[in-house]
Amino acid sequence: MSLIEVKNLSFTYGIGTPFEKKAVDDLSLSINEGEIIGLIGHTGSGKSTFVQTLNGLIKPTEGQVLLEGKDIWEKPKEIRKVRFKVGMVFQYPEYQLFDETVYKDISFGPANKGLSGDDLDKTVRRAARFVSLNDRLLDKSPFDLSGGEKRRAAIAGVIAMDPDVLVLDEPTAGLDPKGRDLLLSQIIGYHRERKNTIILVSHSMEDVARVADRIMVMNRGKLEMLDTPRAVFSRVEELERMGLRVPQITRVMTILREKGYDFSDGILTVGQAFDEVLSLLKKEGKL
Amino acid sequence: MSFISAENVSFSYSEANKNVLDDFSLKIEKGEFVALLGHNGCGKSTVAKLLNAMLLPNDGVVYVEGMNTADEELTYDIRSNIGLVLQNPDNQLVASIIEEDVAFGPENLGIEPEEIRKRVDESLKAVGMYEYRTHAPHKLSGGQKQRVAIAGILAMRPSCIVFDEPTAMLDPSGREEVMSAIQSLKEQGITIVLITHYMNEAVLADRVIVMDGGKVLIEGTPREVFSEVPLLKRHSLDVPQATELAYRLIGAGVRFTKMPLNAEECVEFLEGVLK
Amino acid sequence: MIRDVSFGQFMPGKSVIHRLDPRIKIVLLIAYIVFVFCTFNFVSLAIVSAATIAVILLSGIPFRMYVKSLKVVIIIVLITSLLNIFYGGGDPIFEWGIIKISLSGIYRAIFVSVRIVLLILLSSCLTFTTTPTDLTDAIERLMKPLKVLHVKVHEIAMMMTIALRFVPTLLEETDKIMSAQKARGADMESGGFIKKIKAMTPVLIPLFVSAFRRAYELAVAMECRCYRGGDGRTRMKTLHMKPLDYVSVILSCLLLTGIILCNIFLAPII
Repeated sequence: MSLIEVKNLSFTYGIGTPFEKKAVDDLSLSINEGEIIGLIGHTGSGKSTFVQTLNGLIKPTEGQVLLEGKDIWEKPKEIRKVRFKVGMVFQYPEYQLFDETVYKDISFGPANKGLSGDDLDKTVRRAARFVSLNDRLLDKSPFDLSGGEKRRAAIAGVIAMDPDVLVLDEPTAGLDPKGRDLLLSQIIGYHRERKNTIILVSHSMEDVARVADRIMVMNRGKLEMLDTPRAVFSRVEELERMGLRVPQITRVMTILREKGYDFSDGILTVGQAFDEVLSLLKKEGKL
Repeated sequence: MSFISAENVSFSYSEANKNVLDDFSLKIEKGEFVALLGHNGCGKSTVAKLLNAMLLPNDGVVYVEGMNTADEELTYDIRSNIGLVLQNPDNQLVASIIEEDVAFGPENLGIEPEEIRKRVDESLKAVGMYEYRTHAPHKLSGGQKQRVAIAGILAMRPSCIVFDEPTAMLDPSGREEVMSAIQSLKEQGITIVLITHYMNEAVLADRVIVMDGGKVLIEGTPREVFSEVPLLKRHSLDVPQATELAYRLIGAGVRFTKMPLNAEECVEFLEGVLK
Repeated sequence: MIRDVSFGQFMPGKSVIHRLDPRIKIVLLIAYIVFVFCTFNFVSLAIVSAATIAVILLSGIPFRMYVKSLKVVIIIVLITSLLNIFYGGGDPIFEWGIIKISLSGIYRAIFVSVRIVLLILLSSCLTFTTTPTDLTDAIERLMKPLKVLHVKVHEIAMMMTIALRFVPTLLEETDKIMSAQKARGADMESGGFIKKIKAMTPVLIPLFVSAFRRAYELAVAMECRCYRGGDGRTRMKTLHMKPLDYVSVILSCLLLTGIILCNIFLAPII
């Protein structure tokens, strides 16, 4: 059974004002347990609005979000419970750090959930371990950490709620390549151990291509594609028409394919491209 | 003498801290486009602020067109000549109306009102934001805000603009807007120093300097620098995917002609190999 | 939402009111406020109201924007007029238990509420038709004589400019931080006053930290753009009195004369 089921979801901002804007437009999909979804789209495509409907931060103007088969707005007073099941890491999450120590900050979410004592301690330390924050850092003030550490501490604060679905909005924005690689590998490591569902919103096709099982493409509030990375990235032209850039390597291989070379569709990584070129060279006896 | 020259510069933010820059030297010629790479904490941003006298070296000297940045009487001549565009576009805009923000620099320089008007219009046109001159900054996209920030610097008529990670907080289309603005400035003869993490931006430069631990690791044309794939990887820096693929194929025994830096060159490279 | 408040938002336009010298607009606003409080009978109140409506029509700003800015003060208007009705004194025309309503109370309520409404409408008109920078600029110029008294006029104006520039940015940021903390299960809706204040800590601290970071970065950016205080600084926009400005002053003088005449020849109602 699918974990999240979205049915004909629409959301319109500022109804009745001159700024009225349909941010999400009749969107339906289902997300399975344990999969990593990459969500891509141009700025203003509605992706941030869409993910905020999943944990009830935004109430849809039409349609439903079903979590484990139940409408999350069935009991509006209990919407807070949904937020512990669907954890959300916002863009630049380090700007939400507030407590005296990193430890206390990470425990904010799980304490709100009702954990205390040993359970709380265990979950905080486990979350810190997922993002490689050591014990020495836990006693520091979050404002004394480096940029990358702050980002990871903030993510730990959401992971500590042990959500079944983790939504990450541009988790690598503004990081240098080193910090980005580290964070992505930690997210993958966390996913392998916890086996929960992850939705990764990103501008970086390279990042999404690396981690996602399925990719969801949004444009002007509508769901345009939801398919495997290979299938999505084989539709280069359509993506570019939506103002999205495919990874450089995908572009190279697509151009060559169009020129008649026998490469497979939707190549995403340098590794795949390397294998393809090498096997072609060997087949033709040029190596 | 070079247009900008930093000679044996050392710098630390306080005595207790270790040097951010250590015996660092750099020469930039007029009209050049130089990209400065390196991961966070390697001292790139410090270099940016040393060039426009926001910071002064502990040891060594920085000259801008023969002016020593340590000479306090020249501080504002240097700052108006070497503009600095920072990372966060939001925190660089002072006024609530675009054109008044762009006027801020020339106003500080005490320029006559009619001349300011002329410069503001020209600068906004140069970055393609003239139609937005009466808008409020908070309604613009990140790329647009950053272009306004560039116009604000341009209105001081600098001969060089230093960009400190100008695209780090932007989405891909914002990044493209800013990069094409930078390239058109370069064509007008403005010297460009671009600090960035994005290799696809660095390949556009005439010269690439990679920094590590407050020193220059390697420098050269983009083709020379990006050919050093293992060195860059060892220092956790990216190389363009096109270059990486070629590099790996060369490792597998493919003979190469020219290291590709972008998608088009990579297609050419592969066609050459597969023919 | 906080961002919906329209009070104090500039609306671009090319109307007569937009084109007035901002200094004149500020001086006239102050004058009109005095006029509004010098209305003691219905005729003068009607004259000032008519003048206000004329100004609003001339401003070319959609009427619903004015209505929106009135929404902010509607409660204040209601409370003060109720208080005036019930505690107006004078001979009661209606009595029920302890509630006594008198004609003078009703008059007082009408005057007070109309005055507040006019006040809001006029000041909204100023902020709708004048860019915040023009406003601060005009205030800076009007306050220039105070420099003799060592008032830091330029610094005050610069602070106002920056504050105006960053209000929308910080409001947006507040929204974002609130969402982020709600996503971590923060409960900001339920509980009493003290609990609600406490629940705001996770929002206020990041907001302050961010404001300080922005302030620092802005200071760096301003220095990079050769900012060094008000001395030797020029302005792109210079202000000159135009015929239009003189006309507005003359019309306002006529209005003042009208009100004075009313007050002399007609008996005050309140």
